[in-house]
Amino acid sequence: MGTSITTWENVSAYFTFADSPTMLVLFSIGVAAIVVGLVGSIMKHEKEAFKNHK
Amino acid sequence: MATETTLESLQTALDSQQAVFDMHAAMNVEVFYWWCTAIMLMIHAGFLAYEMGASRSKNALAAGVKNILALAVIIPTFYLFGWWIYLSFPAGLIPTSVAGALPWSTSMGPDVTDMGSGIFWAAFALFGATTGSILSGAVIERIRVSAFLILAVLLGSVVWILAGAWGWHPDGWMLTKYGYHDVGASGVVHAIAGFFTLGVLINLGPRVGKYINGVAQQIKAHNLPMTLIGLMMIIFGFFGFLGGCIIFNVDTTGWTTIYGTPTNLSAFAFNTLMGFAGGVIGCYIATRDPFWTMSGGLVGIISVAAGLDLYDPGLAFIIAICMSFVAVGTAKFLEKMGVDDAVGAVGVHGITGFLAVILVGVFAGGTPNVGGNPDITLYGQTLCAIVIAVLGFVPGYLVSLLLKKLGMLRVPASVEDLGLDEVEILAHPYPETVPASIAKS
Repeated sequence: MGTSITTWENVSAYFTFADSPTMLVLFSIGVAAIVVGLVGSIMKHEKEAFKNHK
Repeated sequence: MATETTLESLQTALDSQQAVFDMHAAMNVEVFYWWCTAIMLMIHAGFLAYEMGASRSKNALAAGVKNILALAVIIPTFYLFGWWIYLSFPAGLIPTSVAGALPWSTSMGPDVTDMGSGIFWAAFALFGATTGSILSGAVIERIRVSAFLILAVLLGSVVWILAGAWGWHPDGWMLTKYGYHDVGASGVVHAIAGFFTLGVLINLGPRVGKYINGVAQQIKAHNLPMTLIGLMMIIFGFFGFLGGCIIFNVDTTGWTTIYGTPTNLSAFAFNTLMGFAGGVIGCYIATRDPFWTMSGGLVGIISVAAGLDLYDPGLAFIIAICMSFVAVGTAKFLEKMGVDDAVGAVGVHGITGFLAVILVGVFAGGTPNVGGNPDITLYGQTLCAIVIAVLGFVPGYLVSLLLKKLGMLRVPASVEDLGLDEVEILAHPYPETVPASIAKS
């Protein structure tokens, strides 16, 4: 389950699990969301940390 | 029974040998850039040590975490859009259609028939991370990590690579219209990062205690030896960085610059080392200060990087010495003007990189390019250096101004007093150390 590779003959680019344009775009959106989420979580942490040390 | 040799069988054997040779040639290219990228990571290890050492002990871990996170966010954002910017914007601000560099294209993932895309993407991603580290050092001890990461992504995955598309792409307009020459990225990495940093520093303001009654105070690094070792690690990493700036051709062409002109690693070796030595000597004479003496190595290499393929080693040495005085003078001038650049990044990277680009026009003007591109000229180098400085400064200044207006740029003064490690990191760099004040009593 998950792989798109059924043979190594004539393989070039391969995307196990995500071998469809929709999935690849969704993964890209996921990567972007995680980076944005990281910055958001740091902002939240900073706000709380600064509040606790006023 | 003997096998009959025919022209057909000889051709088949030759084709087979050629296929083996081609495969090994492609693998050699991959291996070369793989190790360049690995060595480039030493730049980040160096910046990590350098920044932590340059901070006061109350901020040492915060400086380190900020630097590590910069690397971690620039890599995925460079994957998402940085590489696409490089391939799509050589003509200016209007993108050409390059679907191949979008993150969901087949060239942006494992492909057993493509031995180039991933390895070049990796090298360029780490060039971008270097720009983030240049910014990181200058803003230590008072910037919010969240604001820094926004700025680092802007610089490392957008701004520098736009300059890269203009000045480092075979179709970049700076090359095709003005014969721009910057083989070691003095302009497209160092100058742009330095001027971006200047824009941020103006809005960020100095650290609490840096100025008393308008007079600049020295805020001492808590671990100068670690800073010096970090700087030497950056110098080591430079060899990967500069190796990544040369093109490994698998045909009879041999090594070329990124502009397609002939060169080799020997030329790079002569001038990198002579520049390093000149920079160290120049900064030592100018300051007698250990931090600046070691920073001189960076100044020296950056000052000759744009023309690594063209200079005589003696000339590179002299350029590096002279540029050291300029870098130190820039740092002093900025300090006097109220700009608190904790590590001298604007002088070391910004002004040095800017002038390094112009100096190629002075010392190598008239050198021909290939492929119908114009010759190198002083006018072209100067114009492009100005474009790069503006391209770096404006977004750095405007976005940091916006963050400042939103109250998102800087930590509160009370937090700065306590130290960022105590407030944000919840860990101590030296937990078993007895503070000097307690030890005395």
